[in-house]
Amino acid sequence: MSDTDDAASPQPGATGGAPSRASLVTEAGGGEGARRGAPLRGARRISQLVFLAGFLLLFAVAAYPLKSPVPVDLYLRADPLLALSAMVSLRKIVLGLLWYALPVTVLSILLGRVFCGWVCPMGTTIDISERVFRMRGRKRSKDRLEWHRLKFYLLIALLVTMAVPAAHRTTEALGLTQSVGLSAVYLTDPMATITRTFTWVGLPAAQWMARMTSDTVTGWSYSDFLGRHPALDRALAPVQLGLGAVTRPAYFRLGLVAFLIFGGIVALGRYQRRFWCRNLCPLGALLGVLTWAGGKLLPYRVRLAVSDKCNRCMRCVNECKVGAIGQETSSSPTDPKRAGDTLLPHKPECIECYSCIAVCPQHAISLTAGYDASAREDELRLDRRRVLGAIGAGVAAVAIPKSSLSVLRSGATDRVLKLSSLRLIRPPGSLTEDEFVTACVRCGECMKVCPTNTLQPAVGEGGLEALGTPVIVPRAGPCTQPCNLCGDVCPTRAIEPFTVEEKTHLYLGTASVDRSTCIAWAFGRECVICDEACSYNAISQDVSEAGVKRPVVNERICVGCGICEYVCPVEPLGAIRVNSSGDRRHLGREEQKLLRKRAGQEQAPAERTEGAGGEGPAQRGSPYPGI
Amino acid sequence: MGDSFSRREFLKRAAAFGVTAAGLAELAGIDGPAEAAARPTIVVASKKDPARLVRAAVNGLGGMGKFVKKGDVVLVKPNMGWARKADQAATTNPEVVAEIVRLCRQAGAREVKVMDHAVDRPDSLILRMCGIEEAAQKAGARVSMASSAALYEKVAFRKGKAVTSADVMRDLRRADVFINVPIAKVHNSTGLTLGLKNMLGIVWDRGAFHSSSSLDQAIVDLAGQIRPRLTILDAVRILLTNGPKGPGRTEDRNLVVAGTDAVAIDAYGASLFGMKASQIGHIRLAAAAGLGEIDLKRINVRNV
Repeated sequence: MSDTDDAASPQPGATGGAPSRASLVTEAGGGEGARRGAPLRGARRISQLVFLAGFLLLFAVAAYPLKSPVPVDLYLRADPLLALSAMVSLRKIVLGLLWYALPVTVLSILLGRVFCGWVCPMGTTIDISERVFRMRGRKRSKDRLEWHRLKFYLLIALLVTMAVPAAHRTTEALGLTQSVGLSAVYLTDPMATITRTFTWVGLPAAQWMARMTSDTVTGWSYSDFLGRHPALDRALAPVQLGLGAVTRPAYFRLGLVAFLIFGGIVALGRYQRRFWCRNLCPLGALLGVLTWAGGKLLPYRVRLAVSDKCNRCMRCVNECKVGAIGQETSSSPTDPKRAGDTLLPHKPECIECYSCIAVCPQHAISLTAGYDASAREDELRLDRRRVLGAIGAGVAAVAIPKSSLSVLRSGATDRVLKLSSLRLIRPPGSLTEDEFVTACVRCGECMKVCPTNTLQPAVGEGGLEALGTPVIVPRAGPCTQPCNLCGDVCPTRAIEPFTVEEKTHLYLGTASVDRSTCIAWAFGRECVICDEACSYNAISQDVSEAGVKRPVVNERICVGCGICEYVCPVEPLGAIRVNSSGDRRHLGREEQKLLRKRAGQEQAPAERTEGAGGEGPAQRGSPYPGI
Repeated sequence: MGDSFSRREFLKRAAAFGVTAAGLAELAGIDGPAEAAARPTIVVASKKDPARLVRAAVNGLGGMGKFVKKGDVVLVKPNMGWARKADQAATTNPEVVAEIVRLCRQAGAREVKVMDHAVDRPDSLILRMCGIEEAAQKAGARVSMASSAALYEKVAFRKGKAVTSADVMRDLRRADVFINVPIAKVHNSTGLTLGLKNMLGIVWDRGAFHSSSSLDQAIVDLAGQIRPRLTILDAVRILLTNGPKGPGRTEDRNLVVAGTDAVAIDAYGASLFGMKASQIGHIRLAAAAGLGEIDLKRINVRNV
């Protein structure tokens, strides 16, 4: 998007391409030479805008009631790095992830990093930002430091981290202990980063702006006005729907962090254009490796070729968004100006944006297909010591970033207990804690779709290793009973899909009444709004001698949805609070279901209600008779 | 509606007039001059179809035209407090609400707004689940949740004992006619929730009511200050256990009760649960405060 438009003056009769390769864009020929290549660049720009629009559209419809013909997390699912991360670190093959990641993988092997140049919404956002802020990178060659390979070392470190056993998943029900890796791809994966940034920063900002026009701020009755103008009302309906609840704009407590990180990524464009894409992006590195592998596997390829018309004017070198042209080769140190060194774009770095074709005054660059004699120039040229260093860093990263302690608890089966905050309350359907932290890529899609804004990025609840993962913050909103959207949008299945019916036995935590501040318990006044609001009939009443009804939580029915804490009038934290002691994810869904059933059976028949379980004969033989 | 004093007085007089006129109409079978003994009339309609029930009940009071004038803005306040389906009887029957909207429109209302302030979250899900949004919109109303402090304005309760002021829905304050449309449910705090308790949904800071010296008294303080022109109690299906949110045991009663005396409606509503209204703290206090008639023997109950 930020290409220069300094297209050269027409140079008639230009044709390019190596003799053995058929040129794909020479049909224009003749006096139209100046336009040669520009159509490709135009097509690429249109593609970028279309894919960015698609990304934003899916982002917008990731909201209640979640009606979309394609998965709203499509872009995240299409990211092969995220699929790789989830599967390697959890040691399991997830076909659902593989299928979606396949197109980008195959595309990269066949054509190179087309995804980076034509599709990636992160790349497009950076391009747009660089254009808006007029950031063109520095031109002088001494500033053109070669940090390209940093992203490959980063990728290696990430892959090692995923593979090394970092924690153990314990499935008490099965008595199995199995290792899981630690995934840190969330730090730099572009799809996760851009989705997270749009959720934590873009959504609240858009909703606040929408709110400014509504009567909730202006006082002027917007709804009255729309009521008198039904046509306008209908026209504005989709906009309001797209922005969601403007009366209560979403808020995410790590928004500033996401904003600063993204701002930093954009600001680096002052130093080098697409600094992120060329030096840091591990997905770019992965696709670069695939491109390199494609060169080894397939002799017949589509690639850019430079004819002998090239007079080394360096325009393409300066124009290239990712510095792929004029890199040092395996044989000689870099000096693109020296005759004899190739100006061929380095295929694993090239993002196929074709701006070089458009700006070349000599029309020396063309897109060709055929036997690729240059593939041998496309080596990744990684430094062996740095590779070893990256491997070492990957191993060390397993030990260092955890800030919460884990202790071994012996019991029927040994269990690793993570000593974390009482407020570590995960959404329903979440994997067990260590698996969850590993599988979650902090894309924020669950937080985007959550209609009550209760899902917030973890700040300290789960330790540093869980920074940014979703936790339920009941004071912000309840995990409302008839909703299961977060499980439907998680791209890596860190939150597995679940049904609304299952929520009666997905124990997230347990509410407990603080009798020292509860209006009824401490001050003897009627309230029990917690009992009113409880979706699962988990609160009963203890009537005092004075006849005051006081709330008591049935911890075997309470799933920790947090609506009691949300509605509690005691300020600021509520006198009934959910804590993670009731988290029973380690039991698996079947056993939790059994627990719920037992709890239902023990309720007096008169108090038994629909949805409270209790159907069927009692099952015997559970190892947990007392729970 | 101008300032709160004249409006309140106006409502009082209107209610008194409606009550007396209807009482005599009951005795004489025709409209005529007011009888001295002011016995409030409530109409109990018993039919299968909720829409017909509403029509019968409102016609029994003399038709919607008695309450809604041409060009009026009407605020209808159903119970849309919970993310529950209509058949779970935690929220007002959507067909009842829709029919009220239709009757208001037919009476010439310029605009009908259906609003509540839900306890549950999120608004979008509640509005869709309870079915009122779709039904009332089709009938020609604007349906919304007043979920922002800016949509409220402070009202002083001059006779308030537990609560001396509250932020009340601005749209309600500016409406010409306020119709309260509760659903009859048991309530684990106040015993029952009928018309008076349903009023809690018009205030912004409900927590202040709960943390006041007495929730029952706070409800009465509110009901003494803001009085609906008409109360239409939905008892098509009532919730017998685990109220107000459920899920609990429900029972189909196929009744709609309409009247201008909010306490009389609640007194009758209590009888649906086999209870005496005097057992319910806030209804008893409301009667004691002179807000209406609690004794069923002193209420004209017209069955239609």
